[in-house]
Amino acid sequence: MRRRQDLSRGEGSRGSGGSSLGKQYWRSLEELAASPAFQQRIQQEFPELADELIKPTTRRSILKVMAASLALAGLTACRWPKERIMPFAYRPEGYVPGVPQHFATALELGGASLGVLVKSYDGRPIKVEGNPAHPSSLGAATAWAQAAVLELYDPERSTTLVRREGGQRRVPTWDDFLALAAEQATLLRADKGAGFAVLAEATSSPTVLALRNELQEQFPRVLWVEYEPVSRDLERAGLARAFGGLVRPRLHLERARVIVGLESDFLFGHPEGLRHARHWGAARSGEGDAMPRLYAAEALLTVTGAASDHRLALPARHMGALLRQLAHELARGGLALPAGWGAAAFDAGSPESRFAALAARDLLQARQQGLVVVGPSQPPEVHVLAAALNEALGTVGTTVTYLPDPEPTRRSHLEGISQLATALADGAVRTLWILGGNPAWDAPAELDFARLLAACPQTVHLSIYDNETSQLCRWHLPRAHGLEMWGDARAWDGTVSVVQPLIEPLYGGRTPAEVLAALLGEPALSAHDLTRRTFARLWGGEEERWRLALSEGVVANSAWAPVRPRLNLEAVIAAAAGLQVPPDGGRELNLHADACLYDGRFANNGWLQELPDPITTLTWDNAATFGPEDARELKVRHGDVVRLSAGGRSVEAPVLVVPGQARGVVGLALGYGREAGGRVAAGAGVNAYRVRTATAPWVVGGVQVERTGRRRPLATAQDHHVIDTLGMAERGRRVGSLIREASLPEYRANPEFARNTAWAKASPLWKEIEFKGEHQWGMAIDLSACIGCGACTIACQAENNIPVVGKKQVANGREMHWIRVDRYFAGDPADPEVRFQPMPCQHCENAPCESVCPVAATVHSEEGLNQMVYNRCVGTRYCSNNCPYKVRRFNFFNNFKSVSATTRLAFNPEVTVRGRGVMEKCTFCIQRIEAAKISAKNERRPLRDGEIVPACAQTCPTRAIVFGDLRDPDSEVSRLHRHPRAYGILEELFTKPRTLYLAKLTNPAAPAGEGGASS
Amino acid sequence: MSAIPLDLDNTLERPGERAPLVLGKSDLASITEQVCEIAERPRPSREWWLAFGTSASLTFVLFAMLGYLFWTGLGVWGINQPVAWGFAIINFVFWVGIGHAGTLISAILFLFRQKWRTSINRFAEAMTIFAVICAGLFPAIHVGRPWFEYWLAPLPNQMQMWPNFRSPLLWDVFAVSTYFTVSLMFWYMGMVPDLATLRDRARSKIRQIAYGIAALGWRGSGRHWHRYERAYLLLAALATPLVLSVHSVVSFDFAVSQLPGWHATIFPPYFVAGAIFSGFAMVLTLLIPVRHIFRLESLITPRHLDNMAKIILATGSMVGYSYIIEFFIAWYSGNPYESFTFLNRALGPYAWSYWIMFTCNAIIPQLLWFKRLRQTPGLLLVISIFVNIGMWFERFVIVVTSLSRDFLPSSWGVYWPTWVDLLTFLGSFGLFFTLFLLFLRFLPIVAMAEVKSVVPAAGLELGPHRGHGQYWGEIPHQHDEENER
Repeated sequence: MRRRQDLSRGEGSRGSGGSSLGKQYWRSLEELAASPAFQQRIQQEFPELADELIKPTTRRSILKVMAASLALAGLTACRWPKERIMPFAYRPEGYVPGVPQHFATALELGGASLGVLVKSYDGRPIKVEGNPAHPSSLGAATAWAQAAVLELYDPERSTTLVRREGGQRRVPTWDDFLALAAEQATLLRADKGAGFAVLAEATSSPTVLALRNELQEQFPRVLWVEYEPVSRDLERAGLARAFGGLVRPRLHLERARVIVGLESDFLFGHPEGLRHARHWGAARSGEGDAMPRLYAAEALLTVTGAASDHRLALPARHMGALLRQLAHELARGGLALPAGWGAAAFDAGSPESRFAALAARDLLQARQQGLVVVGPSQPPEVHVLAAALNEALGTVGTTVTYLPDPEPTRRSHLEGISQLATALADGAVRTLWILGGNPAWDAPAELDFARLLAACPQTVHLSIYDNETSQLCRWHLPRAHGLEMWGDARAWDGTVSVVQPLIEPLYGGRTPAEVLAALLGEPALSAHDLTRRTFARLWGGEEERWRLALSEGVVANSAWAPVRPRLNLEAVIAAAAGLQVPPDGGRELNLHADACLYDGRFANNGWLQELPDPITTLTWDNAATFGPEDARELKVRHGDVVRLSAGGRSVEAPVLVVPGQARGVVGLALGYGREAGGRVAAGAGVNAYRVRTATAPWVVGGVQVERTGRRRPLATAQDHHVIDTLGMAERGRRVGSLIREASLPEYRANPEFARNTAWAKASPLWKEIEFKGEHQWGMAIDLSACIGCGACTIACQAENNIPVVGKKQVANGREMHWIRVDRYFAGDPADPEVRFQPMPCQHCENAPCESVCPVAATVHSEEGLNQMVYNRCVGTRYCSNNCPYKVRRFNFFNNFKSVSATTRLAFNPEVTVRGRGVMEKCTFCIQRIEAAKISAKNERRPLRDGEIVPACAQTCPTRAIVFGDLRDPDSEVSRLHRHPRAYGILEELFTKPRTLYLAKLTNPAAPAGEGGASS
Repeated sequence: MSAIPLDLDNTLERPGERAPLVLGKSDLASITEQVCEIAERPRPSREWWLAFGTSASLTFVLFAMLGYLFWTGLGVWGINQPVAWGFAIINFVFWVGIGHAGTLISAILFLFRQKWRTSINRFAEAMTIFAVICAGLFPAIHVGRPWFEYWLAPLPNQMQMWPNFRSPLLWDVFAVSTYFTVSLMFWYMGMVPDLATLRDRARSKIRQIAYGIAALGWRGSGRHWHRYERAYLLLAALATPLVLSVHSVVSFDFAVSQLPGWHATIFPPYFVAGAIFSGFAMVLTLLIPVRHIFRLESLITPRHLDNMAKIILATGSMVGYSYIIEFFIAWYSGNPYESFTFLNRALGPYAWSYWIMFTCNAIIPQLLWFKRLRQTPGLLLVISIFVNIGMWFERFVIVVTSLSRDFLPSSWGVYWPTWVDLLTFLGSFGLFFTLFLLFLRFLPIVAMAEVKSVVPAAGLELGPHRGHGQYWGEIPHQHDEENER
């Protein structure tokens, strides 16, 4: 080959006229003729290569394209500084083809980072796992972070730059953009940046912040605005008022004994939700005296509310009054509070005052181990009073600490976007660069941002999708995905992580830092250079330190030191005075970030669309949620479309009745109803941003509900249909034996309450199977710890190549998740208790599925695994019928037929992709078991306990799932199987499940008038 | 030779007398003529063409649906999690059940010397064959990967992999295929003398060759008859246990599982009774119009209908008893899952199907206690159709209600058939009727040779004997009635 190339070069140089380009190669006659039609086709088919292809082709350029394709083929482990990636001549140290490698990086969401470890096969990231060294992760990862892999390989990501002008859509190159940036920089220099604005996503990246500072220094008149539709700015504002300075609160649930949460979903919908969940899970399953007690008052049922011991369903607008009532009760109980903080806002004997009295009694006992926490949707005044109560209880320093705000000069997101909108409307901004985000779609409705954006003469949008905003901008730039980029980010507590790429940008996307650098006249600097520069400036330029940061995923000791702000007493009194039960203003609409799609940015992610909402199990849609009584009153049922209108704005959404929702409250998740979200997002849900304004971003009062008479079927993963009374009654009867629970005192009195001994006495009529394997695998799931967040479902989906089936199939009960989280309600529908039960294959020793398979496609391994042999399966589905847990999943169609070649890169090569007509189910992650066994064997050592972690257990934020060897009596799982709380479900069928559940412990307070807290 | 009046009520039981099984002016020749004529008509009637056209079109629909199914996957049906079995298994059990009457009539009634079987056995056996063909179709198409279906057969292979002999589905394979083979042999062997008759009467070359090959060189010699009777007896003895075993094995598909509503020891007898019940109902549904159209009233007499109605009444009562005892057992067992399953059947979301089943199977057949109803072919036809509907719904109730709500309430679901399910089911009727109409057109639909042994004329010249041809001279009760007038 080389000889030929040399020859050809020789010929070329000798060729006609001594062309400096060398010999011309062509692929077709059209190309040779360079007809306009051909050029157009090239533009359409290979927009990013258009330049290379249309220009006269040289041998050199062909080699360049080939090199790039090789790079894209991904024979690299990681994107290292050299940006041209060629096949290895020498194997890099420590890299074995086909053996996965883990790289530490961080993913940013809403201005806070989550440290992750990404598993990569031959340069192909396939799985995001939590980074145990990262303070916000502690080894777990959110569903969002885990689904980043699917987003990375989304074939609908933006692949090219786009220039839209006068209805024309053209595909420019990065060089064109750099030219634009240079031109823009000259303009900026002329008048110090007047008329220029940057609208950025919230980011914690020191590099971006440094570049921003540089930009603002160079061009002081540049308007820099940050906007996130889901932000904690109301809390920020409240704390600013309470303390007279901006601080960021950090919760320490590990030290909390009594937590009172008002409209706060701190276990799930918080940047540090994973950390909170971890501490919560540890404390709740620990059974010690330190078991925390949680009081939750909330309008909508949330994961945190479901985990609480006392829950009060209360409209969000009443939270201030409830907090004041709490202050009143605390003062009555002997806490020295200044006058004016507390006031009796509710009648004595009302549920609110009883709730407040109980919570106050416990808080007074717990004192500095108490915690009052208010959710981000509450107005600043409530946060002021909560901060004051924490101060008065002495919790500051134990259960809550304050960190300095990373950007004290930043206006709140809503103020920022409003200011920008005004400037756009006035014509004060003529050039707008948008770094990330989707403001045309998710900005407050009254700003009419989309129109303003369309009218702005020069707009640039950097985004991983060509989304609603991009389509209104003159320029769209493809953004490097979080797994493709160099960068840095800070966790909620300030810990710095270096973001390192796992793969060369698939579509040549660039990072916000690179775009800013281009504007600042440093277009040659890559994201790596920029990151490295910031790193050197802040943490030192030693190579070792940089390498350590990359391999650990965190920069040691980079967290902010806590500060001790002083409470402004007058501000508290002023704020408290305004906290009253609002005069009845009709129903309130509670907008909230979606548990699956967040603010809508993940709308084109099939895993997240199909992930059942933890509470409603709804998939592929958002819905107007109503409590059962409201639904009865309004005469609406599941799927009826209602029009919600407030302040001249309205949205039509299907009804979903959710037990435990406060009366007079309608809930609606943000993030659905995308207009240009992609094929996956299309048709999923309704756009709640239409009724969201800057003045009422979360809670909209005075909402009118009208029936439209239309229906929209909803696909829930559970209760696929509305259940009849008979079924409901039976379900109620069964839940008690499926999810066994006791309060802490009951458990102490009878530790073995959950044991079901009746079946154990029965001796089998036949000779039982002996399991002779060296290991006997088993699992234990602690229901005390589980909060039902669903992270395990996504982890399993990513690990095991589980297909996405779509709304129609979910509605038909054909979802494929190997581990589902069963959710049950108990008690009064208006004030239910919620119970979660993760349900993977139980790996029964007496597996009912095995005996009925006519072709022996499901059999037991010597190590006690119930194995599914896909190749042997003919698909009679008898196994599924005979499985009492209904954990088997059948491929009704070829679920991978429409999966694009790009998305196929996300597949785990260790796990077979199942074809049509085949049954599948949880394997206990057998590929991980085998991998660990092989490495133990290679290293000539016994397997260690905890070495094998299935995907679900690995990512479980609360560490509720434990896997291990039951033959080893000292293993964690053996210990848990011997635990008095351990029980198997449906054991009476003699299935002998290898998965045991640890009964749930609750910690309710003794009724008022009796004893005190848990001790 | 004296004729027995066609309108003679031969359903009466008179001590010491045997009721005539053939009425009218029937002798050996007229029976041959009467039966062969049907298969020898130069061209079929317009009605036959109409019926054949319809059922052949439906057969085409069936194959179109199968093509769609194989191309796309099982998802085109309504099955889901948790209801992983739907129409395919319901239809399978339905058709297998129908396929029970033939062998019962041929084998068990033969062994019990129930001579009345002779007029209807051919017909019932043919129906059995066609029903079992339809039945066999469904398990074959309901698997996810039909191209690997041969793995269910115990074939030696390089994987050294046997099927799982513990699985009832495998037993099914054996039971149904054995049943089909034996039924086919029985039917065909019994038909050989009649095929020879057709061959002998054939006018055209094609018919001569076709029937000649089918008749296997039957010459009607004494030795032939001797061997024939022996073989028939042996096959009857072989087929008799199959009648009981096939549906018992089919019921094991359910009974061996541990699903509440399936896991029941009553299933084998209950299924066998139900199968005979539905099989006889289907025989009646087909026989009554055929008897009328082809003027076979002299051979298929009211006594035949009456006897079949009595069997329907008996088996229907057994089925009804099973329905009731299931509830008792569900309660008596103290098993909460089982109790709920049965409550759910009667009162849950699929209660309508349960009550259709109960009404059609347990209540409507009770009308057959009335003799007048048993003797009114029109009403009998209506009742038999109700029984067919009811028995289909029985399988629907068993399969769907049990699966849709099993142990964990979180996985409860609903099942609705899709249009593909419905058209496939309809198409299976098309296949059944296509085969049946071909049978009516080309084969002797009544076992002539056997019927001849029960015509009065058969014994006339032989003097008194114990056969059914004992009636000579005057018919006493007939005479009495005339005298009374």
